[in-house]
Amino acid sequence: MNEGARVGTAAVRIQGLWKRFGEQVAVAGIDLELPAGRFIGLVGPNGAGKTTTLSMVTGLLRPDQGTVEVVGHDVWRDPVEVKARIGVLPEGLRLFERLSGRELLAYTGRLRGLPGAEVDKRATQLLDVLDLAGAQHKLVVDYSTGMRKKIGLAAALLHNPEVLFLDEPFEGVDPVSAQTIRRVLERYTASGATVVFSSHVMELVESLCDWVAVMAAGRIRAHGPLAEVRGDAPTLQQAFLELVGAHDRDAASDLDWLGGGVR
Amino acid sequence: MTSTTTTLVQLKLSLLRGGLRQSTGRRAAYIASAVFTLLFAALQLLGLILLRGNAHADAVIVLLVAVLALGWAVMPLFFPGGDETLDPTRLVMLPLRPQPLVRALLAASLVGIGPLFTVCMLIGSVLAVAHGAAAYVVGVVAVALALLVCVALARAVAAANLRLLTSRKGRDLAVLSGLVIAVGAQLVNFGAQRLGSAGLGQLEPAADVLRWVPPASALGAVDAASEGSYGIAAAQLALTALALAALLAVWARHLNRLMTSPDGSTLQAMAETAVRGRSSTGMARLLPGGRTGTAMERSLRYVWRDPKTKAAWVTSLAIGLIVPVFNALQGTGSIYFACFAAGMLGIQMYNQFGQDTSAFWMVAMTISSTRDAYVELRARALALLVITLPYATLVTVLTTAMLGDWPRLPEVLGLSFALLGAMLATGAWTSARFPYSIPQEGYKNVAPGQVGLAWIAIFGGMVAAALLCAPVIILTILINTSADGDAWSWLLLPVGTAYGAALTYLGLRLAAPRTAQRLPEILTAVSKG
Repeated sequence: MNEGARVGTAAVRIQGLWKRFGEQVAVAGIDLELPAGRFIGLVGPNGAGKTTTLSMVTGLLRPDQGTVEVVGHDVWRDPVEVKARIGVLPEGLRLFERLSGRELLAYTGRLRGLPGAEVDKRATQLLDVLDLAGAQHKLVVDYSTGMRKKIGLAAALLHNPEVLFLDEPFEGVDPVSAQTIRRVLERYTASGATVVFSSHVMELVESLCDWVAVMAAGRIRAHGPLAEVRGDAPTLQQAFLELVGAHDRDAASDLDWLGGGVR
Repeated sequence: MTSTTTTLVQLKLSLLRGGLRQSTGRRAAYIASAVFTLLFAALQLLGLILLRGNAHADAVIVLLVAVLALGWAVMPLFFPGGDETLDPTRLVMLPLRPQPLVRALLAASLVGIGPLFTVCMLIGSVLAVAHGAAAYVVGVVAVALALLVCVALARAVAAANLRLLTSRKGRDLAVLSGLVIAVGAQLVNFGAQRLGSAGLGQLEPAADVLRWVPPASALGAVDAASEGSYGIAAAQLALTALALAALLAVWARHLNRLMTSPDGSTLQAMAETAVRGRSSTGMARLLPGGRTGTAMERSLRYVWRDPKTKAAWVTSLAIGLIVPVFNALQGTGSIYFACFAAGMLGIQMYNQFGQDTSAFWMVAMTISSTRDAYVELRARALALLVITLPYATLVTVLTTAMLGDWPRLPEVLGLSFALLGAMLATGAWTSARFPYSIPQEGYKNVAPGQVGLAWIAIFGGMVAAALLCAPVIILTILINTSADGDAWSWLLLPVGTAYGAALTYLGLRLAAPRTAQRLPEILTAVSKG
């Protein structure tokens, strides 16, 4: 992750991105450039607009306004170039659950136009690495949350994308599966690919990412290399709370009756 | 021992009360169903009393009780969530012995609307056939025995299948229950029509067998006692009692196993994997490569594996067969009813992306041109044709054979194929234009707020399909009314087929650009609920 080597190359370039759902503004004008070859974390509290942003960046949701470019190609005008280069693991959308894990990978890979033999080879390796080999013939509907995230990740990686978008990949995942996912993602970025993932767990972002963008109420509050965004604060958590203005909220005085002792 | 029984009966009552307290809607539904059931029970009681004296009364009640018992046996399979006391594994942590537990659960089962309805029906049945004091005495015993057999039957079936019922497969099965009821209603309707025209005497042969099958045998005993054949009556009562004992033994054995072995849902999931791994490769070899074969394979797998899709397909297949064939059987049919099969099956092309649910994003991520969208839609139409084409042909040939109208076979086939093509074309177009969500849980097939959309899609599409078929229909009429029409009617087969194929092609061509441009909007529409 040499700082100078990749200057000028942006994996994702977002300009003036807006999205409203009725009265509510979900994304209120985002301008953001995500550098290539980094492990990028998009952090923010629930309802900050992370999922909406990622959906618009990956072409799953049409923005009201603004443009998105992925590795130099416009997502909405040039979908052929973009869709072949990105892998996506959305949050809150289903998979084809009535296929087995292996069938799901075979289906995705072939739809992406990869040759059948190559798909089967890659699927076998991904299933092995992600500890899913034992459950590969089980239907995805019978998978646990962690297994679903892992098979979704495998499907997103199958065509070896340049940029990988993961929406809350660690949500509801047990520590063992989380470690497996981490290992795979670290190996993937080490080869020069870009990972963009969203999370509201600061410790996780801090330990995984080298570049972060902080989102709150539909806007980007800060972005840049991890150390820069953290600044003088001891942890990203502290820096984040200061950024979103929640650091001085003191709960103790309101709930002085709470605790052991006299009821 | 008695304390267990009282506790469980009280538990059942509290569960009932607790369920009612949960929401006013639920209370209203329960009270409404209770009133409806009691009303129905009163009516059938009246009906059965009126039946008294009819020569075939005995046959009717024996059949009635047999059907009632069948209902009890099937009930737990379809409504596993309906009765929480049905699930004995909830009591697994309590120190209970099997024998008192069986007694207590049986007693608890007797509380509820279902048993009340059954008692009313059984009493009515006894009143319909009993003559003389001895018969009434036998009747009292018969009602008790029959009721217990019914309840024990439901319990034994539930206990034997509890592994299935608490697993995902069981919940899948529940989705299919509405379908069984719908098709069953068609059959009952058909049977009732036959009875109406041919008289109750037709029931006698079936009743002669059933009067020896418990719990109907208990009512057979009442009838036998009325006629003075006390030996037969005693034998039939003994048979019922024996059946009750056997059912209780089966139930107790399953209960014992359930309470002492681990929860079955995981074991079940493990067991089914072995079978599935092998069966999956055969189909792929027969299908073309690329997106076409891949999308076809997934569509066909979903017909079998996805309960909602399966229910829709089985309904279409069943109704597409029942309407033309039963009408032909009754002699009121026209050979043109055979087109019904093509029409019913063509409906499956509608709302293709809604059938994917929000998993449509996986497809959307791989569609980046109009060409991709066209191939995707074509693959789905082809998957449909793999089943529909042979089936529509089969139904048409079958209907023709039953009516013996072979010269008309080509034109009806041509008409069927033209209709099928029109349905596929409008289906593809409405899939792209009016997508809507299909909720995966429960019986609803449209998400709230999208009902209007679904109506436009389905009925607008069907009207459009009928209009698109008009040229072939007019041609058929012209050929049939012209003097030497019979010589030319074979022409309708190639013309209809070609016309249908052309319509499908055009429909797919028109739907493809719209699909490719509106992927995010379609995804949003099918992700609700």
